[in-house]
Order: sequence, then structure tokens, then C-alpha cells
Amino acid sequence: MPSRLPGFQPLLTLLTFLGLFLYWLTADFFGYEILAEIAVFAILAMGLDLLAGYAGLVSLAQGALYGVGAYAFAYAAATLAVPAPWAILLAIAVSGLVALVVGAIASGVTGIFFIMITLAIGEMGYEFFFKTPLFGGDDGFFGIPRLDLSAFGIDLMDPASFTLLLLLCVLLVFLALRWLVASPYGVTLIGLHENSHRLRALGLPVRLYKTTAFAVAGMISGFAGALLAQHTSFISPELLHWTTSGEILVILILGGLGTLVGPLIGATVVILLKHQLSAYTDYWSFWLGLFLIAVVLSGRNGIVGALEELCLLALRRGKLRRQGDAAG
Amino acid sequence: MVGDAGFWFIQILNSLQMSMLLFLLSVGLSVIFGLLNFVNLAHGSLYALGAFIGYSIAQASGSVWLAFATAPLAVMAIGAVLYYALIDRLRNAGPMNQVLVTFGLIFVFLDGVRFLWGVDPLGVTQGVPFSGRVEIFGQIYPAYRLFIIALGALVYLLLHLLLEHTRIGAEVRAGVDNAEVARCLGINVERSFLLVFLLGCALAGLAGAVAMPTFSATLGMGVSILVPTLVVVVVGGLGSLKGALIGSLLIGSTLTFGQVLVPDFAGIIMYALLVIVLLLRPAGLFPVRS
Repeated sequence: MPSRLPGFQPLLTLLTFLGLFLYWLTADFFGYEILAEIAVFAILAMGLDLLAGYAGLVSLAQGALYGVGAYAFAYAAATLAVPAPWAILLAIAVSGLVALVVGAIASGVTGIFFIMITLAIGEMGYEFFFKTPLFGGDDGFFGIPRLDLSAFGIDLMDPASFTLLLLLCVLLVFLALRWLVASPYGVTLIGLHENSHRLRALGLPVRLYKTTAFAVAGMISGFAGALLAQHTSFISPELLHWTTSGEILVILILGGLGTLVGPLIGATVVILLKHQLSAYTDYWSFWLGLFLIAVVLSGRNGIVGALEELCLLALRRGKLRRQGDAAG
Repeated sequence: MVGDAGFWFIQILNSLQMSMLLFLLSVGLSVIFGLLNFVNLAHGSLYALGAFIGYSIAQASGSVWLAFATAPLAVMAIGAVLYYALIDRLRNAGPMNQVLVTFGLIFVFLDGVRFLWGVDPLGVTQGVPFSGRVEIFGQIYPAYRLFIIALGALVYLLLHLLLEHTRIGAEVRAGVDNAEVARCLGINVERSFLLVFLLGCALAGLAGAVAMPTFSATLGMGVSILVPTLVVVVVGGLGSLKGALIGSLLIGSTLTFGQVLVPDFAGIIMYALLVIVLLLRPAGLFPVRS
């Protein structure tokens, strides 16, 4: 989505990353937990932003691909004793491949049917992991190791250093996606969103582009899954349930579609709100639901859209006042 | 036991009973979907509300029949509030915004129900009609489940008469077929939409109320029934009464027989069915619009 205020989104991105880093500096143990959760959901929502915000494909299979990545990492690292860096790459590859197949199937339909088919395929994944004893079934998967950087003198079992690593991963994914959406490939995806018929008429292999975009988003989900598995060292099929995909979508919408910084802000706000509200009320999801409805009905592009509008308004006011001063 | 004819007959009855509950839920959703392409993810929550409101009415009055009669009306009233507060504004907002707002509603209803009724499953045991058992092929079967099957069949018949043989039904069909042309012919499509929406809410509430005595009213019932209901709607074809019925029978029997034959894969088979239908017949098995 083109910004009406040049420089606004880069500035906001910088401020958000700075804020998260400052939070890291002052965090206690609980703070690290919250930051880790923010990091994982920010990565997931950025992946969905590529699909929903740029390519216009609203997928409810992101949670399932996230779970596939987490299980792939867990199985490789814990059961097969594959070294963690390779297990992370494996998790990304497996999620990417699964997403490639799912994308190839789902790109045959559009609109609400795309949402439905991704929901159905995601639920198939949930049922599979729920029922398969090889991966622990509904008991989940225990004892997942973390990346070992002790050779470099870094102890990742320390929550502070592991959380910092997660934040660096968020930055890495952000930069990679920024590069991707600015590339000719990314611009083509935006074009697909705006008018897929015209692009097809121009000879673009539309399904190929949709499928590969789906695969890239799947790889990002898989990466987030591999990170989560290391963070919690325990995973369960709940990760794959469609409500996880719904949560990712909510974060993206609250933050702002097609901005990449929106997912970051959305994840921060939703996770913080969840923890803050749950301190005051048992019924935090009631308020989160109302907040979501209000944001969607406001017709603005999430928090990023609302902030941008506020800045525009303030700038316009300042300009008017200056003109008034000059005239008077 | 598996080789026993009576056992299979019982399973057929079970699948019919499951199908009829799915039908009561999916028919409203399907026609709303077909009439103005509106996706209501909170439809499952209305089912849960029907069950909980039905429970409270039955507890307060001691009459389960009264609960069956009034719970749908209460859910319809909630539906009317939703319509004027949210849904009317979202009509041209695109499927994405509708999915999101109604997804937000799921959260709101879930916590609302938890606040009002708590987290424990609730059910009534006193004064439930048809609480006896009947013997079929040497198997004991609860008569109440037969009542659910009969109720589903009755609702189908009434809806069929309403849609095919009344003026209102003709207007709704015209709206589903082509809303723009229907409007040009002077049909008030908005009014048809409101009517269908309220009827759909009432049927969801009815499904919840009649499910409550056998399955109890539980917090997660709305979310867990939602996905099978959506599958029925998409498989059957949007906006079609017949599609909702056949889709319900298909999904109800897939789930019931899947549980018996391949318990680990019943859910997977249902989703695979949806994927196959969407790929081969994107408009569902019985599409209203071609």
C-alpha cells in the first residue's frame, strides 16, 4: 500500500525496533517471555502480510505451517539429533515444501473460497499431528533442544540472550521481506492483488506467482515454528489449529496490512494487551474482540493507518497555522 | 459387534441425527452466504447461545418445551441487534472485513458466555421430552435422538414450502439468483436478507437448544461446530436449501462413520472432501447460481 506520508513508515519501523530493544534492556524474566512471544508472532504476521497485504491472499493455513515447522525442528533436533542450525534450515524447507503443495492446490480458487480451502487444509494438519503417535499426538512433544552458541561464548539458555537472538531474527525477516516486496517479484505480487485478470491477460503465470508467494510465507511460518520450539522446548498440536491462524490474522489487521511494520506493531500491541488485560480481567479476549471490531469498522488500515492519519492531520494543522501567521 | 446389522442401523441413525443438527445450523448460514455473499463466522456462537439460553429457561421454568420455543426467539433478538449494529454496515465491506468482524464476535460471545454461565458443561435432566428408549433391531436407542431427526426433517419441509410456495420465498430465491435484477424488479432484497438472517439465527438457536439435553451446553461448542458447518455450506453450494441438506447428510455421515471405521482420520476425511469438492466443483454440489 503506497504511503501518503513519505518517510513515515521507515521512521515508525525504526522507533518500533528501538522500543523493542529498550524493552529488552529493561526486561525481567517475565518481560523476556513477553518479548519472545512478540517476536514469534511478529515473524508470523509479517509472513502473512506478504500473502494478505501484498498479494491479496488471505490464508488461514499459516498456523498449520507454523506448527509443521515447529514439529519438523523438534523431530530433527530431538529425535534424530540433527544439529540445531541444520534443523532450523530443515524446518524452513519442510514448511516451504508443504506450503508449495498447499499453495498449488489453493491457488485454484479465489476470495472466500481461498480462505475456506486454506482453513480446511490447515485443519487436516492439525488432525494429523493430534492423532499421530510418532510426534506425541495430543500429548505434544517434549524436550526440544536450543541452538548452542557456547563456542562463541553465548549461553542461549539464558533468557536474555535467547530473546535478543529472537529480536535479531525479527529484524532479519523484516529486512528480507522489505527487499522482496521492493523487487520486481514483489511488485508483481502487488499487481496481482490489484488486478489479477489484467496480469493474466498480459501473460503472467498467475498461479505460479501465487503458489511461490504461498511457499515463501510458509517458509517464514516454518522459521517462526522452529524458533518457538526452541523457546518453549515443548510444542503441541494446538499450534496448528485454525484459531492460531486467526490470531495471526488479527495481529496483522490490527497492525496494518501491507506495511510490514504493521505486523510488528500489531504483535507488540496484542501480546502486551493480552498480558496487561489479563492482570485486570479474566475476560481479556472480550475486549480484544471489541477492539478488533472497532478497528475494522473504523475503515483505517490498522494502527499504522490511524497513526499515519494523525500525523498527516497534525502536519496540515501546523501548515495552516504557519500560513495564518504569515498572513497576519 | 461391528458385523452386526443392528449396530450399523444405530450408526445410520446417529449420522442422521448429527446431519440434522448440522442442517439446522448450515441452512441459515448458506442462504445468508448465497443471498449477499456474507460470511458469518459467529454463527457457531449463536448455536452455543441457543444452548445456554435454553438451559437457563429450562432451569427457571422447569419446562424444556418452553426452552425449545423461546431460546430461538432470544437468539433471533440477539441476531437483530447484531444486524443493526454491525452486519448492515459490513455488507459491502468485502469478505475479508466480514471474516474479521465476525471472528472478533466469536471472542466477544465466548467470553460473554463464560461470564454469564461459567466454564462447566450444563445440561438438563428433568422434564426432557422423549427421554425414553426405543428398541430397534435388538438395540436400545434413545428416543430423543429420533426426535432431533424428525425435527430436522420437519424444518426442511417447512423451509421448502416457504421458499418454493410463498411470495417471500420467491423474493429470497430471486435475490440469491441475481440481487441486482431482483432490485430492479422492485423486490426489497435488503428486507429478504434481514428476514433470512433472523431466521438463520433462530434456527441456530433452535439447534443449540435441542442439542443441549444430549450433548450439554459447553463453552467450546460454538467454535467446534463452526468448521463442520462451514464445510457443509461450501460442499453443498451457497444459498441452496437442497445443498445444505445433502451437504449435512454427507458431512454428518462422514463424521459418524469415519469415527467408527477410521477413528483417527474422520476429521481429515471431512476436510479432504471439502478440498476435492472445491477443486472439482468450486460452486459446491448444488449451486444456485451457475
